[in-house]
Amino acid sequence: MNSLLKLKKINLKYQTGKDSINVLRNIDLNIKKKETVSVIGESGSGKTSLIMLIGGLEKPNSGKIIFQGQEITGLSEDEVSEIRKKNIGIVFQSFYLIPNYTAVENVALTLELNNFKNPENEAKILLDRFGLKHRFNNLPSQLSGGEQQRVSIARAIAMKPKLILADEPTGNLDTENSIMIANILFKYVKEEGSSLIMVTHDTKLADKAKRKIKIKDGKIK
Amino acid sequence: MEKLNNFSEFSLILKYALKDLSRNYHKISSIIVTLFISLFILSAIFTIEDSLKKELNDNAKALLGGDLEIDYNRNPGNLDLINQVKEFATVSQMIEFSTMLSTTVREKNKSLFTRIKTVDEKYPLYGNVVYEPTGAYERMQKEPYSILINESLSKTLNIKINEKVKVQDQNFTVIGIIKSVPDVSGFVAFGDWALAGKQTLEILKLNGIGSFLNYEYKVKFSEKDKPEKIEKRIEEIFKDDQKVKLRYPENSASGIKRIINNFSQFLSLVSISAMLIAGIGIANTLLSFINQNNMSIAVRKAVGFYSGNIKTLYYLQLFILLFIITVVAYGSSFLIVPIVDRYLSDGLGLNIYPAFSLLNFLKIFLVGLLVLVIFSIPTISSIDQVKASNLFRNVFQNLQFYYSKRSIILSFVLLSILILLFTIGSEQPSYSLGYFAAFFVCLIIFFLLSKLIIFFLKKFKSSSIISLKVSIKNITQTKSITPITIMSLGLGVTLLLTLALVGTNFQREIAKSIPDIAPDYFFVGIQKGERDKFEQGILNMDPNASIEIVPMVSSGITKINGIDPNTYIKPDNDSYWVIGSERRSSWVKNVPEDNSILEGEWWDLSKSDQLQISLDAKVAKDFNILLGDIFTLNIYGREIEGKVVNFREVDYRDLSINFAMLFNPQFAKNIPHEYLATAKFNSNKFDETEMLEIMPSLSMIKIADYLSKVTAVLNKVFIAVTLISAITIVIGLIVISSAIMVQGKVKEYQNLVFKILGFSKKQIIFSSLIEFVIIFKSVILIAIFFAVIGSKFIMENIFELVWMFDFKILIYLGLSIAFVTLVLILLTNLKYLNPKIYPLIRNQ
Repeated sequence: MNSLLKLKKINLKYQTGKDSINVLRNIDLNIKKKETVSVIGESGSGKTSLIMLIGGLEKPNSGKIIFQGQEITGLSEDEVSEIRKKNIGIVFQSFYLIPNYTAVENVALTLELNNFKNPENEAKILLDRFGLKHRFNNLPSQLSGGEQQRVSIARAIAMKPKLILADEPTGNLDTENSIMIANILFKYVKEEGSSLIMVTHDTKLADKAKRKIKIKDGKIK
Repeated sequence: MEKLNNFSEFSLILKYALKDLSRNYHKISSIIVTLFISLFILSAIFTIEDSLKKELNDNAKALLGGDLEIDYNRNPGNLDLINQVKEFATVSQMIEFSTMLSTTVREKNKSLFTRIKTVDEKYPLYGNVVYEPTGAYERMQKEPYSILINESLSKTLNIKINEKVKVQDQNFTVIGIIKSVPDVSGFVAFGDWALAGKQTLEILKLNGIGSFLNYEYKVKFSEKDKPEKIEKRIEEIFKDDQKVKLRYPENSASGIKRIINNFSQFLSLVSISAMLIAGIGIANTLLSFINQNNMSIAVRKAVGFYSGNIKTLYYLQLFILLFIITVVAYGSSFLIVPIVDRYLSDGLGLNIYPAFSLLNFLKIFLVGLLVLVIFSIPTISSIDQVKASNLFRNVFQNLQFYYSKRSIILSFVLLSILILLFTIGSEQPSYSLGYFAAFFVCLIIFFLLSKLIIFFLKKFKSSSIISLKVSIKNITQTKSITPITIMSLGLGVTLLLTLALVGTNFQREIAKSIPDIAPDYFFVGIQKGERDKFEQGILNMDPNASIEIVPMVSSGITKINGIDPNTYIKPDNDSYWVIGSERRSSWVKNVPEDNSILEGEWWDLSKSDQLQISLDAKVAKDFNILLGDIFTLNIYGREIEGKVVNFREVDYRDLSINFAMLFNPQFAKNIPHEYLATAKFNSNKFDETEMLEIMPSLSMIKIADYLSKVTAVLNKVFIAVTLISAITIVIGLIVISSAIMVQGKVKEYQNLVFKILGFSKKQIIFSSLIEFVIIFKSVILIAIFFAVIGSKFIMENIFELVWMFDFKILIYLGLSIAFVTLVLILLTNLKYLNPKIYPLIRNQ
C-alpha cells in the first residue's frame, strides 16, 4: 500500500441562487506517500476547491475521498477534524496566524491540541529551524510577510503530518522570500517523508514538484 | 455547551480561554462595564437587604425590648398577673404617650407633638441607650422633672442641654440628647420623641384616648430557663385576659421587615430589567467580538479544533469574566452599606454592617450566569457558521445570531429559571410575575415597532434628499441595528419615564394636593367638659377659622357574628389594622360630606336603643362583611353588640376626620368620650403656646410638619429609584453603542464608498441625524404610552393614590434622553467617519 490519498469520481457543485456551478467534475486522483504534487490552472478552475476537499474542509456532492485507506467523505465534521489535526498540515496564501498570539504560541497551538508535553519548547525548535529564533515572542503584526509564512509552515508541519496542503504559499511574497519558502517546504517533505500538494500559479515553483496536475474547467487534464 | 471528551481537553481549552481573555478583555469592555453595573446594583440591593435583615434578626430581642412583650395597649396592666411573671422573670414597665412639648425661653415659643416614653430603672433589658452627656440617663431615673430628647427634636426646636421645656403645664429640664434606643420596633420610625423616668406619669395629667397611651411590659427570661417553657407559662397566666397581647422577638419590627421586603423586591425588579437590557448589549458586543475573531476561529478549525471546543472556549471566557466581575461587584457593594447606614441611623436608629453571604453571592452569580448564557447562546452558536474553508477564499462574512430549536428551548428554560428566581420568595410574587410579563410585552412590541418602521420605510417613495435616502437605507438594510436600538432604547426610556411619572405623582400627592383639602391642625385630648373652652380659644385667635369637633371613643372588635375576627382576615391584609388593636370611633347625626353611603341605610331612628354601625366600604370588602352582620365591641371593658347598617366610602387621604366605624348618636351619646377636632385657619394669628396656656393637656398635630417629614423620606426613596433607573438608561446607551459597533466594519466600508463617491462629512452626519429622528420619535411615543399605563397602574392599584398626567416631566426627560442618545450615536459613529482607505481596499 503505497497510496496516501485517493479521490474517486469527485464532483463538487456550488449553488448560487437558482444556478449551480460545477466546480469539480469526476475527479480521480491518487497521491502516493512522499509524493510532491503541484496543482496548476487558471483562476476559477477549481484548484483551491480540490485541496479544500482533500483537507476535509468541504464535502463533495458525489464521489469518495480515501485517506490512508479510510473513507473520509461520510465522516462528521468532528471526525474529519480528528484526522486533520494529526495527519494534515495546511499552508495558506495569507498566512492566517492568530493576530494576538506570538509566533511561538501560534505554532504551539497545534501541538497542544495534540497533547504534546512541552508544546512551546517544540514550537521554538521548529521556529529555530526556520531561522526565527529572534522572533519567538513577536506578534504576527511585528513580522514580515516571509517570516509570517515561515511561522505558518512551522504550524502546519508541527505534527509531522503525512500530507501538507499548500494554497499559493508564495502568492503574497516577493521573489527572494518565495524561493526561501519553497526551499523550506520541499526540504522538509524530503527530510520527513511527507506528501505535498501545492496549488500555485508560479511555474517555477510548480516545476519543483515531482508531479504536475493541471486543472481546467473542473477537470484534471 | 458541548460536552467535553476528557479532562485534558478541558484543561487545554481552559488554558486558551485564560490566554484569550487576558489579551482580549479590552475588546469586550462594554460587556465588562454593563455586566459590572447591573451586577453591582443587584449586589447592593441584596447586600443592603441582607445587612438590614441580619441587623433586625440579630437584634430581634433588643428591637422588641425583651424576650417577650406584654402589651396592654391603652389599659393599665393587670398588676396581679404581671407580679406573677415577676416571680420567675425580670419585668420592665414602659408607658408611652403623646403630648405637646414646648420651649420656654424663646421670644416666640415653639412646640411639637411629641411621643414620650417613660421607663423604669430596668430599661433597656437588651441593647443600650446611646446618649450624651455621660450620666444623663441615670440622672433622668432619679430626678423627677428631667427629660432626654432625641436629636430631631433638639434640632427642630433648637433645644440645648439644661434648657427648660414645658410638657403640658409642667416644666422639665432637658438633661441630655438621645442618639439611639435599642427597641425601635415599637417606636415611630421618624419623628420627635423623648425619654423620661416612670415618675413622669404621676406628674402629668394624661387621658386615655387623646394621649395615645400605651402600656407595655417587657420580660427578660432567666438564662437558665428554657424560653419555650417560660413563654408557655406566661401564655397560661394571661390566657383569660382579653386586653393583653403577647409579642415575641420574631414579630419585632415586622412593619420594617415588610417595608424592606417590598422595597427590595421593587428595586430588584428594576435591576433585573437593567440586566436584561444589558443582555442585549452583551449579545451585540459578543457578536462583534466573534466577528473580529472570525479568522482565528477558522484557523482553529483548520488545525483541528472542534466547533464545540471553540464554543466552550468562549463560554469559559464569559464564565471566568463573570466570576471576576461578580466578586468585584459584590465586594464593591459593601462600600454602599456605610452610606445607607448613615441614612438609616438618622431615620430608624438602626446601624447596619456589611454582611457576607455565600448564598447571596451565589444568587448574584447565578443571575449573571443565566443572563449571560441566555443572551450569548445565539451569538456563540454563530461559531458554527465559521468555516475553515473561508481561509482559502479570504472571504469572511459577518456572522449573525443563530437560533436553533435546541437553543430557543434552552433559552426559554433558562429565562423561566431567572423569572422564578425573582418571583419565588418575593414579597408579592404576582407583582413580580406581572412585571416580567409587562417587560416582555414591551420588548415584543418594540421589536414589532422596529419591523413596522422598516416595512413602511421600504415602501417610502424615493426622495431627492440624498441624506434621507442614506438614512432610510441604513434603517432598512439587512443586518441593520434598528431592532436592537429600538428595543434597548425603548425599554430603558419606558422604565425611566414610568418611574419619573410615579415619582412626580407621588410628590404632587404628598406636597400639593393633600394640604389643599386638609386642615391645618388636628387637636386631640379635648375632654368632655372642655369642648366650648377649646372652640372659644380658637375663635378668639381667628374668628374665621373653620372648626370641626367630633366625639371620640376607643373600642376594639372582639367578635364578628359571634366568632374571632381573626378568622375573617389575614394579618397581611391592608385592612387588618381595624382589629389589630383598639381603634378610635365616633358618632355623627348626618352622613359626613366626604363619606357617601355606598350600600345600606343611614341610622334607623326607631331603634335608638340598639348600636348601629356604619363601616368603611373597603374594610367591609376586605373582611367580607355583609349588611346586618353583628360586631361585638369592647368599649371601656363592656362588651356591646352592634349591627352593621351601611357601608361608607372613606378617603383617608383627604386628612380630614375619618373613622372606619361610625355609631348612631342616639345610642352612643351616653358613652364616656373625648373630642377630636380639626381647624383650618384664615390667618396666621393662631398661636400654639397661647392655646396650651388655655388647655395645657391639649395635643396639637400640625399637618404641614408631618407632611414635610413624610416628603423628606419619600424624597430619599425617590432619589434611590431615580438613580437606579438612570443607571438603566446608561446601560441602554452602552447597548446602543455596542449595536453600532456590531456594524462598525460595514459602516466603515459604507463611509469609505461615500467618501470615494464624493459625500461630505456633513452629509454623512446629517443622515445619522435623520436616522436618529425617525427611530427616536417612534420610540418615545410608544415609551410614553407604556409609561402612562404603567405609572397609572402603580399609582392607582399599588399606592391607591390619584394619578395625573404630567406632560412637562415627559417633555423634559424625553428631550434629555434624546440629546444624550444623539450625542452618543454621533460620537460612536465619529470613528467611522474617517476610514483609513489603504487597509480597507487591500482587505487587511
